Parts: sequence; C-alpha cells; structure tokens
Amino acid sequence: MQRSTHRSHLLARPVVVALAAAVALTASSCAKSEDDAADGKKSPSAAADAGQKVVTPKPGSKTCTIDAYGGEKLDLKGATVGFSQSEKEANPFRIAETQSIKDEAAERGVKLLTANAQSQFSKQISDVQTLLAKGVDLLVIAPLNSDGWDPVLQAAAAKKVPIVTIDRKINATACKDYVSFIASDFVEQGRRAADQMIEATGGKGEVAILLGSAGNNVTTERTKGFKERVAEKAPDLKVVFEQTGDFTREKGQQVTEQLIQSKPGIKGVYAENDEMGLGAVAALKGAGKKAGDVKIITVDGTRNAVQGVVDGWISGVIESNPRFGPLAFQTLDTFTQGKEVAQDIVIQDSAYSADNAEQDLGKAY
Amino acid sequence: MAPPAEVLAVRGLSKSFPGVRALDDVDLTLHPGEVHALIGENGAGKSTLIKLLTGVYRPDAGDIVFQGRTVSFGTPLEAQKAGISTIYQEVNLIPLLSVARNLFLGREPRNRFGLLDSARMNREAEEALREYGVRVDVRRPLRTLGVGAQQMVALARAVASEARIVIMDEPTSSLEPREVETLFSVIRRLRDEGIAVVYVSHRLDELYAVCDTVTVLRDGRRVHHGRLAELDRLSLVSTMLGRELGEVRQEGLTKFTGDHHATDSRPVLEAVGLTVPHKLNEVSVSIRPGEVVGLGGLLGSGRTETAKAISGALATSSGRVTVAGVPLRGGSTPAAIRAGISLLPEDRKSEGIVPGLSVRENISLAVLPRLSRFGLVSEARVDSIVDTFIERLRIKASSPQQKVGELSGGNQQKVLLARWLAMNPKVLLLDEPTRGIDVGAKAEVQKLVDELAADGLGVLLISSDLEELIEGSDRVVVLKDGAVVGELTGDEVTEDKLMRTIAGHAPEKDAVEEAASDG
Amino acid sequence: MAEATLKTVPLDKARVMQWLQTYGVYAGVALLLVVNIAITPHFLSAENFRTQAVQVAPVIIVALGMALVIGTEGVDLSVGAVMALAASVTALYLGYGLLPALLVVAVFAAVVGLANGALVAFVGVQPIVATLALMVGGRGVALVLLPQLEDLRNPSLASLGSGDVLGIPYLILIATVLALLVAFVVRRTTFGRQLLAIGDSRPAAELAGLPVRRVLILVYVGCALLAAVAGVLATARLQASDPTSLGNLMELSAITAVVVGGTPLTGGRVNIAGTVAGAVLIQLLTATLIKHDLPPSWTQIAQAIVIVAAVYAARGRGKR
Repeated sequence: MQRSTHRSHLLARPVVVALAAAVALTASSCAKSEDDAADGKKSPSAAADAGQKVVTPKPGSKTCTIDAYGGEKLDLKGATVGFSQSEKEANPFRIAETQSIKDEAAERGVKLLTANAQSQFSKQISDVQTLLAKGVDLLVIAPLNSDGWDPVLQAAAAKKVPIVTIDRKINATACKDYVSFIASDFVEQGRRAADQMIEATGGKGEVAILLGSAGNNVTTERTKGFKERVAEKAPDLKVVFEQTGDFTREKGQQVTEQLIQSKPGIKGVYAENDEMGLGAVAALKGAGKKAGDVKIITVDGTRNAVQGVVDGWISGVIESNPRFGPLAFQTLDTFTQGKEVAQDIVIQDSAYSADNAEQDLGKAY
Repeated sequence: MAPPAEVLAVRGLSKSFPGVRALDDVDLTLHPGEVHALIGENGAGKSTLIKLLTGVYRPDAGDIVFQGRTVSFGTPLEAQKAGISTIYQEVNLIPLLSVARNLFLGREPRNRFGLLDSARMNREAEEALREYGVRVDVRRPLRTLGVGAQQMVALARAVASEARIVIMDEPTSSLEPREVETLFSVIRRLRDEGIAVVYVSHRLDELYAVCDTVTVLRDGRRVHHGRLAELDRLSLVSTMLGRELGEVRQEGLTKFTGDHHATDSRPVLEAVGLTVPHKLNEVSVSIRPGEVVGLGGLLGSGRTETAKAISGALATSSGRVTVAGVPLRGGSTPAAIRAGISLLPEDRKSEGIVPGLSVRENISLAVLPRLSRFGLVSEARVDSIVDTFIERLRIKASSPQQKVGELSGGNQQKVLLARWLAMNPKVLLLDEPTRGIDVGAKAEVQKLVDELAADGLGVLLISSDLEELIEGSDRVVVLKDGAVVGELTGDEVTEDKLMRTIAGHAPEKDAVEEAASDG
Repeated sequence: MAEATLKTVPLDKARVMQWLQTYGVYAGVALLLVVNIAITPHFLSAENFRTQAVQVAPVIIVALGMALVIGTEGVDLSVGAVMALAASVTALYLGYGLLPALLVVAVFAAVVGLANGALVAFVGVQPIVATLALMVGGRGVALVLLPQLEDLRNPSLASLGSGDVLGIPYLILIATVLALLVAFVVRRTTFGRQLLAIGDSRPAAELAGLPVRRVLILVYVGCALLAAVAGVLATARLQASDPTSLGNLMELSAITAVVVGGTPLTGGRVNIAGTVAGAVLIQLLTATLIKHDLPPSWTQIAQAIVIVAAVYAARGRGKR
C-alpha cells in the first residue's frame, strides 16, 4: 500500500502537468480554425442598429415614478451602473446582450461595472452584492432565476439603488422591489411565427413543431402563441407533430430526420429556436430535399439562421431581440429624471423573411 | 470474596451454515471484571461466537443470558445499546467525522435548544481520551489519527457508552508495542471498573499478560475452559491444535512419502531478513531444489505474510529475496513470477481463481503472454497446455469451457496449480493448499506436491493441518508473532517439537512453572 | 423470436431469466421491428433504416468503449465530455486540414483517458469518482477552447459525416469496423483476456502477475479514443462543432446500451454484440415514440422500463 501511494504521486503529477500542457498548447495560438484564414465573421456590435429599439407600451399598463419607488433623482451621466449577466457569453444571444449594454453605456458616457454569474445562481447573488458594495447607483440585472432575490432586493432598497431587470422577470413587486422589467413577448413571437408559417404554406397542410427544452417558459409561450394564431387564422393548417429538440442543433437534426421519414408529406417545421431550425435544415439536406421543399420558420434571429433565409432554406425568422442596452438606459434615464416609466416594457422584435433577409443580414446577431 | 454474579451466561449455543457446523453446543460464562481469552485456530468458531453475541447472526439453538435476562439481539446496534460493545481489528468508526463526534456518536451533548453543544463535546472528549493516553486535537477528523489512537477512541467510546462487556477482536494486530502497553493498562482499568472483557488474540504473550480465564474452541466446539494461569503454554497450544503431547504419531495419515531428494546444492530461494511493519520481523527462509520446507506457527504468526512477501504481493520495508542466486526486485508480483516464484494463495476463492472465467482461461491466465504473438493469443497452444494439465492433474470439469466458480474446491485448487505449473516455476509457495477440499482431492494434491519436489522444485508449504505439515516437510521453520523462533530439521520434525517451539519452550518440560510465573 | 419467448414461459423461471439475459435484447429489437413494420407508416424503407443506423452509430461507438470499461468493473462518465472536447478541438485545428486535426483530437482524448486510467489504477480512486472529475473538467476545457457553436465547412469533414460507399454511410461503416475490432480484441488478444480477469477478480489477477495497471490505463485510453471518434463523427454529421451540447448525457446512453446488452456491471464479462443490439434497441424505441409523436416524457419512461427489465434479468446471473 505504502508503495502504491508513493508511486501514485509520481504518476499523478505528470498527468496533471500533461493536461495543463495540452490546454496551454491550444492556448498558445498554434490552433488554427477554418475561420482564422477566412473572414473575421462576427462583429455584432458593428452590425447593431441603434435606431431599432422602440417601446411598445401596452395600453393601460402600470407605470412607476421615482417618487412612488422612493429614490432620489440623479443625472445618469456621471452615474455608475452595475450590470449582472446570468450566463457565460457563450451563445450569440448573451454575447449580443452584454455587448449592447456595454455599447450603450459607452455611448452615454456612463461608468459601467459588469459581472457574470456563469450560470450559478449563488454567484449571481454575490455578484450583485459586490456591485452594490462597490457603490453602483443603478442596477441592470439579467436574472438566472426568478426566485430567491430577497436578500439582494433588500440590500438594494437599503441603498436606494433602482433595479431594471431584462429578459427574465424577478418574482417580486414592481415599482417597490424593482422598477421595470424589459423583455420580449414570447407568446407574441409564437403568433408572429404562425403568421409567417401561414404565409409560407398558404395556410394549408401539415406542420411540425420542434419544441424547446421541456419545462421552460420560453418553450411554453412560443408554443402557445403559435398554436393560438394557427387555430384562429388557418384552421386548415394542422400541427401533426410536436417533439422536443432541446434547443440544440443535433437534437433538431435527429428529430427532423425521423419526422421526414414517417411523415413525408410535411409542409412546414416551426423550430422554437434557430439552432433546432438549422438542425432541421441539415436533416432536409441529408435527405436530399431542396431548399423550400419544407418551409422552416424559426425564432431568435441569429446570423446563421438569417443566412439560411438568404439561402432559401429557411422561410422566416422571428427575432428575439437581445439588444436591451438602449432601452434599459433610456428607462433608467427617464426614471432618474423623475418622469414615469412603464413597469413592463416589451422590446420590439423584428423579423426576417426572403424580402429583407439579405439587406438586414447585418442586423442579425 | 465471593465471585460476583455472572454478567453473561451462554448455554448450548449452536449455529450452522450450509455445509458447516460453525458452532456446536458452546457454553461461555463471563463475570464482571473478568478478562477472558477466546482462542482457537482458523475455523474454530471464534468469530461466529462473537457475531452471535453481538446480534450479527441469530443462533440455531442455545440461550444468551445477559445480566440475568435472556436476550436476542436483532442487530449489532441493539447489542451495543444493551451494553455489549465490540472493537474489531479494523476500526469501525466514521473516518471523516471529528474524533469528538465519533466518541459521542448517537449520544451527543445537546444545549438547551436541542442543538449540538460542540464546546462541551470537545471538552469532554479531550478529558475522556486523556485517560487513555491519547492527547490529540479532538476536532480533527478521526482518520488523521494513527491506528492505535483510533482504536483507543473506539475503546473509549465503548466504555463511555456504558458497556458491560467489551469484545476485542485482535486489538493489537496493528499496534506499536507502546500502544499495546496503553491498551493493557486500559484493559486493567476496565477490569477494575467491573467490565468484562473478551480478548481474542493469537499472541500467547499477550494472553498471559492480561487474561484471567480462557475458552479454547476447536472445530466449533469448546474444548477447554478455565483459569489461564492453570494452563501452560504448551498445553494451550496442543489443546488449540488438537494434539495430545507425546501422542504416538501414526505414520501414513497423509499421502506424503516424506523422502525427497533435497540435494546439497545451492538454495533455489533465499529470503533474508524480510520485514513488514506490524507483520514480519526479520524473517529468513531458504529452500533448496527438491526440498519441501514447512512454515509452522499459529494463525497470525506471519506464515501467509511470509509467503506473500516472498512473492512480491506484500511490500517489505527491508529484506531481500534471491532466486537461484539472482536478487529480486521487491514488491512486484510480475517480477517474482518472471524469476520463477509461484504463489498458491490461502484465500483461493477471492485471490486465486477468477470465478467467472472458464477452466481454460484460468489455467492459461498467467502463461498467456508466452502463448501469444503481438498480443494475439494462439488458441492452439493454449489448448495444448490446458489439455496437458487437465490430464496430468486429473482436473474434473465438464469441459475446459466450464466456469471455475462451478467446480469443487479441490478441482479449483488443481486449476490454480496448473496455472502455476504452466509457468515452469522454480519455487512453489503453497499457502494452505488442502484447506476446504475433500479427502480424495487432498490426497491427490499432497501426492502432487511430493512429485513436484521430486522433480526438483523448491516448495514452501504452509498448513494448519499438523499432519500435513509434519509429514510433507523436510524441514519446518517455526514462526511466532511475525518472527522465526526455531527450525526443525531431520528427526526433529515432529508434532511435539513443533508445538513446543510454538509455545516458546525449550524442547524439555517444566512448562507449568514458567507459565505460572508469567501470570 | 416472440414465439420462442412464449414456448419458454412454462419452463422454470431461472431459465427464462437466463434466456432473457442472453437473448432478451435481440428479442426486443425484433419485437420493435415487427411492431413498427406493422403500425408505422413508411417504416420499411432503406432510407429509414439508414437514418436509424446513422443516428445510432455514435452511441454504438461510445458504448463499445464503455463496455470495455464496465468489463473491468469500472465505469466512464467522461465520454460525453470527451465528445465535446473532440468537437471543439476539431474546430480549432481544422485549419491545418482534417487529418492533422484528428491527430490532435486523438492526443487530447488520450490525455483524458490517461488521467482517468491513472486515477483508477495508481491512485486507487473509484472509477465513478475519477471519471466524474474528468466529466466536469473535460467539458469545461472544451468550452474554454470553443465557447460556442461554430459552423464547419471543411469538405472532407462534411463527406465523413454524410458520404457513403455503395450507399452505406461512412458512419455506419466505421461503427461496424470498430465493433468487429473491439469484439476481436476482447476474444482473441491477451489484453482482452486480462481485462476480463481483472474485472472478475482484481486480487486474483494481481496475484497471477497480470499487468493490472497497464491494462486498466489502456482500457480507459481506448474508451476515451472511441468517444473521441464518436465526437468527431457527430460533429461531421452536424457540420458544426457544438461543445455546449454535444455528448450531453451520452454516458448514460452508453451505459444503458451496455447493460441492456447483457454486460453485467460487476465486470468480468463483455458482450459486444449485445451492446450493439442494446444501442439499437434504445434507438428504435426512441424512433418509434417520436414517429408516433408521443410526448418526450414517454421516451424516458420507456427507456427506464427497458433498463429495469435488463437489470432484473441480469440479477439472477450476478450471483454465481
């Protein structure tokens, strides 16, 4: 036993060293991906269109003022804003979201402190507390969870720091625990996808839905909107297939492969995010179909999907706008000046179809 | 002073397992303050008795009367709560919890809110352990302590939980001499406090140093009980082994012929000064070609460890092994096997056979690389070797494809022998080669060992079967507590001499006086 | 096959169990085929079988390695992470061409396998714990190297994923060759026999002088390499490297295939044909439920039932 433990140390170390070396090898820029040689394809900030974010206040929606909230007016210029991001910027949505906040802060000359919770809720709580401790005047939070925010809200209330949450809601009282919630309307996205599907298919035939992850509100709401609108506007369009693709390209591809074999007459596929839609495209290509044989409508508006519209494989993309920056700062500005702001603010999502995809490709993220 | 009422009275306890009568009508009486030695060789029934007392097993027949009441414990926990604590060789505490937590496990002090009162627990733990000579930070995890200290914690825990009986199963097997002293003083303290101790050990010196009374078990029966001081060492050993002193030995009880051809040539195996902490102390053995050397000694005397140390399966802290004059790198089984040493392990079922594989694969297991080219097995060569040995050793299997786990013990043992003979070894280390196999197979194995020696192999034979050891061996090296205490050669190879050597006596008598002065 | 089951039923239970353990997985595959041919439209087409085979190929390849590890009484939870790692490394080095990229992938996989093997063989960490560490760490490294999905347009990679020889996709050919190779290694090589002996009784194997540590390390390296092959093939098929989701829960699919295929978790036995059939069984089951548009939760429930049935059938054999 003694001997084996002794040896194990001797061996464990080289293993660790080797692993570290292997990682370092890659990091040391001897990696060469396809794109290094080709174009530097992604430049989301440059492509961002600043004029796009328009508020669409719901009629009769509740509002909030700084007096009702109990804070002090201040000039946004010269203030410090803290931004807490929930997930690592590892997908186009999060990348564009964070970038948009940073760009807008730079534009307005506001000092911005950022933190990323790396998908750990406990880290996000401590992130926000750290931001508060650093003395931020205002907070923008992209929450990972809806619940469990009480300690942070109390700390912020004690310092009278107004909070705006983006893309996910916090379960708390608006205009008391936080000021406003800015997000896309996922049900509306589903409805608009249905509109596009009806247009693409002529409102007749059988269509399939590639669902997102089970138990996710984005999935339920995008499904609900789509089905409602189809039932209402095109009763001849039948949803005959609903299977989950877990929001990933691979699952989207696999499920679509099964689909087109068992239901060769399928007219359209509604994918609840772009990745599954791209998976569906891969499946159709693999099965020897031609662009446009099966109409694909997706939601999100990533660059790859919009390119798919340009190429003709995808019929339409409904955008889920990640560029919360201008709207968030505009809300904070209005609020801190003492004017009233809406409690629920819906960000406007655009859409891509064959008509505008090519010219608007630059807007995709 | 009249003896106090007995704390435990066991009457007619019996327990059978499929095919074995593990315990047969055994009585045992314990009085408060009595330190009782429970001894016997392997399979004598000690551990069965302990497990019956502590609720691990249920008896088939018999009563256990504890503090005047007939009891029937369903689990070890019940027994422990009632006041019978057991301290095993392997400490059965929770290694990751603190020393104090272990000590108070299940009866932690609470403060008035019903929460754990750590401060009080740590303070009391520290005080309690100091009495056992253990001075440690009780907040440390238990596993950071030495084995001896851990055992003290277990002991302290047993005493603190108001045990009336403490059973110690080979408590000193991993202790340093200094720790053994502490243990003894603790045992004496327990005795003074009126706690009965059952002490299981194979170390005679310890028994005589600390025990008052003794029960000897053999083959599941009680063969002796009484005051230890009235039983001298030699009688103790002979009772344990089931041999009368001076009994005329019948020849021919085994299949050994006894006449080997040990030449005067250089030893094929020389092991010098093998030392393994807590297990072996400077053990030296040499074997010449054609010679069968027996290793004598009681259970726990270091026989198996010696064989394992020679074969590289047990790492030594010092000592060296040479095979036919070539020194061997220690601690490596493959190196030892390459040099020509083959070990037939004592625990055939878990260390010998590979039960799920076939007879064919078991036989060819070690020799496989020699029957392969570029890692590809030559099935024809395997078949030829396997067939040869199945025939030569008369292995009875439905086919070479039969699983070894389905064979009888004797045939399993032959398969293992075949595995090693296929390697053309120079030295065979046989650890209990005939244990648990039927009479016919036993005779065959014995005959085979003779033949192999006659063919010039050096054989080391370990056997608890005295007849086998005496008749099979040309010489017997006697071990006790991990050290060589004597060697019997030529006419000295008799049971009498062997037992006397084990008991630690000069070959003459006067045993009683000496033993008495010990006690 | 179904008739054979009925005939055996009146016989004693132990023999039924024995039969199920050995042939149950094939009977299950046959049953699903029959049911699907009867009730699923367009099932009986070359195109459909091709799809099922292509989808199951990566699972089979991973399960082959898993079967070897389970044969040593171990388990490798890091296979999914190795797939992700293979995906991201492929993307990073594809600029040099496909072959050099594959070599780098092999190096990375071998390092993970070495780490797993060394932890198990030398440090004595339990396999489930050792490979759990690499499962978490491996995916972490994969995401550090390539934080998000990246499209790949390398033509050789694309043809690896969707090309074919005489109508048989490369994926299927590769999986078949690897299955035959692994079966050969298990049956005919010293290494294979030593692996089984170690899995059956490690103490006995050690005392018999087998190179236990070397064999264990090789097994884990082999498993990681097979997982890397699966990762590259899945990436090639997707024509995109997706370390965030590629190989998620693959360890469980592979273990399921192995167990359902009749390889006991207690080691000492490896059933390669059964493992392949186990993977196919799960694939057909999933396909059936998807094709009939049953809720996804049904798939999970059906898989659970198959696993329980397999474990139940294996129970009798476990006690020898």
